[in-house]
Formats: sequence, structure tokens, C-alpha cells
Amino acid sequence: MLEPILKVDRINKYYKSVQAVKDISFTLEKGDIFAFLGPNGAGKTTTLRILLDIIKADSGQIEWNISERKGKLPNVNDIGYLPEERGLYTDVPVIKSLVYLASIRGANPKVARKSAYEWLEKLDLVDRAKEKLQVLSKGNQQKIQFVASILHKPKFAILDEPFSGMDPINQEKFIDYIKDLNATGTTILLSSHQMQLVEKIANKIFLINNGQELYNGKLEDIYHQYKGQLSLELKFKGQINKEDLFSIPDILNVDLLNSHTCRLLFSESAELPIVLHNLSKFANISSINSYNMNLHDIFVKLIKEKR
Amino acid sequence: MSYLRQLWTVSLWEYRRFFKIKNELIGIAIMLVISLGMYWGGSFLKSMKEDKVELTILENIDTKLVSALTSEFEISEISIADKDNFISRIKDQREGILFDIKADGYQIISWKEPAKLANLRTILNDYQRTNRMINMGISNEDLVNIYSPVLLETTYLEGSIAKGKLVYFFAFLTIMALFLSFSYQFVAITGEKQLKITEQIVSAIKPQTWMDGKILGITMTALSSMALYSIMSILGGIIYFQILKIPLASILDILHLPSIFIFFIFTIMGILMWNALLAAIASVITDPNNSSKSSLMFVPILFVTATLIIPPHHRAGSFIAWFPLTSSTAMPMRWVVDVVSWWELVGSFALLVLTFIGLRILAAKIFRISILISGKEPSWREIFKMIKES
Repeated sequence: MLEPILKVDRINKYYKSVQAVKDISFTLEKGDIFAFLGPNGAGKTTTLRILLDIIKADSGQIEWNISERKGKLPNVNDIGYLPEERGLYTDVPVIKSLVYLASIRGANPKVARKSAYEWLEKLDLVDRAKEKLQVLSKGNQQKIQFVASILHKPKFAILDEPFSGMDPINQEKFIDYIKDLNATGTTILLSSHQMQLVEKIANKIFLINNGQELYNGKLEDIYHQYKGQLSLELKFKGQINKEDLFSIPDILNVDLLNSHTCRLLFSESAELPIVLHNLSKFANISSINSYNMNLHDIFVKLIKEKR
Repeated sequence: MSYLRQLWTVSLWEYRRFFKIKNELIGIAIMLVISLGMYWGGSFLKSMKEDKVELTILENIDTKLVSALTSEFEISEISIADKDNFISRIKDQREGILFDIKADGYQIISWKEPAKLANLRTILNDYQRTNRMINMGISNEDLVNIYSPVLLETTYLEGSIAKGKLVYFFAFLTIMALFLSFSYQFVAITGEKQLKITEQIVSAIKPQTWMDGKILGITMTALSSMALYSIMSILGGIIYFQILKIPLASILDILHLPSIFIFFIFTIMGILMWNALLAAIASVITDPNNSSKSSLMFVPILFVTATLIIPPHHRAGSFIAWFPLTSSTAMPMRWVVDVVSWWELVGSFALLVLTFIGLRILAAKIFRISILISGKEPSWREIFKMIKES
């Protein structure tokens, strides 16, 4: 097993009387794409800010193992950070902002400039390099923001909600960018509430809700763990009544795909014959299929179990 | 990455962001246009004041009084019989001023209050006073003696008049630098908070380094503007002296190098200190348009202006020459017009440096705490708590 490059041990954080982070522990190894997953307000951003020493944890240990600064927060040039709150200098040409932010993190301005043009080329934005950020579309501004966070070629990148506010096409592109970055040797810790996107890139996940760990481990393991879980996709002839479906015994979640289709997730104790018997009471069902649980389903299930 | 390298990167960024030579030259050109406009406007107003006002007098006015009145008025004389006609004409045409004698004094009849009424009063008072003195038996020679002004010869061995001009010049530059810093700090700190750049920056750089970079960069910008304005002023002065044919040595009297050195170091340190305070204030402001704390940004200008009002010889003058919030302009001023020992200069400067160091630490701590209060501006109570914790 590789030596972890980040080891977080039982960190806690309170905001007045509210506990935002409760006994969180996890480790990252070199080359990981580690996804921090949870709904808004789950404690993801607070945890990331603690890792970067922007805010202090009330208790717990954080041990970094990057470069020569063993144990301590790495050098700024070893870390890249894309904050959830996006923002860049709107009144300054794009290329100047990029070079400045990379310079602050220790990059040589000439090297950063060359690298910035390479990234802009990749993002189809090279002809806009000398334009001010304020004239770019929101999507393009997001791309620039991403480049600003990794231009100095960090060994470790923290990306807080990298897909938020993006259209589906750009989301797919960003998945490729993150994969490319990882392929060049950058370990990635990202946070997101868009689980269907994270499933495509992460090798390890940490599910968090209300500041508490729900799951921490490899993505493949969690799928394996919930492989046998009963989950059905139902089609109805008429409108679906969600409340009626929740009255079925052993049901954990009802996910409406459209007005006629839904997915049902059952607890481990549920047995197929009994479930089918219960479903026979719904006269307007037109088809029943089983399907593999996705991360979202697993997350919902874990929350329900925790309650 | 070392503190110094990061500090220099941030300072240079802020400097290049705000100091634009083109904008400075446009600013100077606008100032020149305004100055020329004010000069011509002033000259025009002065010439208007020098224009004589038409005054109609009756034929029975004493010739000595008429002679005195001609200094300010264009006199025309009418007969006593025409008096009523003239008054009717004033009513019809709504113009004209009639000056008449009454038993106990004089009378003015006009459509509305005439120009130069105050001058008329002065002439009449002088005329009456002279007449009364003559009636008391005072001879003309004695009258000349009485009215002749006292002779006061002034010799300043230290040449403090010339240096005094430097004080006001540096105070003007300081106020100008503070106005510039005031707006730049808003853009550099509050503006970045609004643009949400701050979190990305503080993940890469310590708040103290970042704050120091802002303070230094904006001070460099303000000093560059001051230098540019100084050069333009000196060039303007040389041209002005050439036009008036005043020897250039008069400029050298003003450009007293030891004084310039003292003013220079106090001014630089003063601007650094004020920028540290302005940075602390800007850190707690989230929205400059709706924040009551924005008015705090005027505090430095009030202090600097106060030093120009309080006389340096006064006991309060000694105090403000030591008090760090006023000493950057007050101590050089006192040095020019009063006797100041070297240790006083050194002591006052050391206090100024210590205050700057304290304020820059305070600014960084307030900034660090205030960025964590996302979405809302800290209340006065919270600010006080921050200062206490700092």
C-alpha cells in the first residue's frame, strides 16, 4: 500500500452551537481522484477550508505528506484550489490574471504564461486571452477559473463543486480535463453534490451528510456492497402518486424520472415476491424492471439507514 | 515560496493595476485645464470688480468728496432741479444710482442694492473722519502722519519662509495620496471581496503577506503619482518664474534638500501607515454603497487637514508632532517653524514606524477574521471583538 499523501483524523468544527463537521477521517494516496459527496450544507466546503488552513478545526489531526514539508500544510505551489465561491479579476485581461495567480503560487511568470496559452488552446479560448474576463460568458469564466487553480501544475488539487453552474456539455468536458490533470500526476480531491458526474471519474468517495460520514472507501466497493439491493423501475399508464408508493412496506426512496416513470429503492429486508405482491395493488402499472443502483440511490439509502 | 517574493508579486500586481501613466497624464491635463479656467475666471472676476460703477451726484456735492468718489465710481452730475426727473427715470428704466446729501448724512436711491456699496461706505467714512479732524484743527501734515502705515522689516535668517512652502506642498501631496489610496483600497480589498477572489488568494498566500502587498503596492502607486505631480509642479514653477522673470535661485531656496529628506521619509511612512489603516477599514466593508463604515475612510484626511490648522508653536502643535496619526505632516511642519531637536525627529519617526507595524498586523487579522464572515458585514461589536482578539 502506498503511503497516504493526506491523512485526516477525526476533525471537528463548530459554528457557534452548530456542528458543521463531525469526526471526519479519511486518507488520500498519490494519484487518487477522491470525491467528497453530499448535499448542499453537508460540511464539504468547511472540510476543504480546514484542509487548506483557511479556517481552523476545533479538534482532530491533518497530516500532509507532499514534498519535503512532511506533516505540515504543503508549499503553496504544490496545492491547487478551485473554491466554491468563484471569482477573478473582471477588469483585467484573462492572461494577466492567470499568470498573476500562478505567480502567487510560485510559478515562474514566463512558464506560467506559456502554460496558460496551452490551456487556453485546449479550452478553445486562446483568441480571448487578452480580453477582459467580464466580456466572457459564464461558462467560459468557469473554465478560466479552473485553469487559474491548476496552472502552476500542483501535485494536489482541491476542486470544490467543479461542475456547479455548468451545462451538460461543459460538465462532460470538465470530466475530461480533470482526468487529464490526474493523468499528469496530480492527485485530486473534489467535492460535489452531482453524484452522476462524480461516478464517472472518482476512484474513491466519501459520502457526507450533516457533517457526518456515511461512507468512505472505493467506488467499486460501494457498488459491490449494494449489488444485491432491490431496486425497480416502474412505468405507469397514468400519473404517479408518490405518497401511495411511499406506503409500500420496506420502501426507502421513490425517485420520479417523469410523470409516468419512477424508480423504487427498497431496504435490505425487502423480498421480491412480497414487493411484487404489494405492487399488484397498483392497477395502472404498465411495466416493472430491475435496475442497478447508482450512487444517488446508495446515498439516499445510507441517509435513511442512518436515521 | 518566500514572504518577500510573494510580497513583491502582490505589490507589483497592485501597482501595475492602478498606476497607469496615461491616466496620470490625463489627470494632470484636466488639473491644468481647471487651474487655467480658475485663473482666467479669477482674472475676469477681478477685472469686473475693477470696473467703475456709474454714480449720479447732485451739483451741491463737495469737490473733495467727488474727487474721492472717482476712485471707485464713474461720476456724472445733475442739477438739483433734475433730481425728481432722475428718480422717475430710475423707476422707469430700473437702473441708475443717485447720490444725495441729507442733513444728517448721505442718501442713495437706486432700483435695488447697488454694486460697490461697501466701497462707498468706506469712502464716506474716510471723508467724514478727515473732515472732523480738520474741524478739530489738525493740519494736513499731521493728517498725512496719522494715516501713514507702520514700517515693518522682516528678516528670516533661517529662510523658513521658503521651507514653509515645502510643508504645504508635501501636505497637499499627502492629502492627494490619501484620496488615491482611499479609492484604490476599496477596489483592491472590498472590490475583491465582492468579486469573490479572496478565498482563492488566501489559499495561496498568508493574509499578512497579502495585506502587506496591498499596502505596499498602493503606497507605491500613490508615491508615483506624487512624484509625477512634483516633477510637473517643479517644471511649472520654472516656467512660471521664467515668465515673471524671477531668478531661478528662488526655486533653489524652496528646494532645501535636508528639509526635503525629512518631509520625504515622514510622508512615505505616513502614507504607509494610513494605507494600513485604510486596508483594515476596507476589510470590514462588504458593500461600499450600503455600509456606514465607508465614512471611516475619510478619517485620515481629517487628521492630515487638522495638522495644517493647528499652529506648530502651540502646545497642541507639540502633541500632534508626536501623535502617530498626525506626526507625518505635523513634525516636518514643526521642524520648519520651530526649534526641534534631532532626538524629537527620531522619536516621532520611530513611533510612526511602530504604529505602521501595529496597524498592518491589525489589518491582516481583521481581514482574516472578516473573510470568514461570508455574506454579511461584521457589526461594530464584532469589529471591536476582532480588534480585541488581535
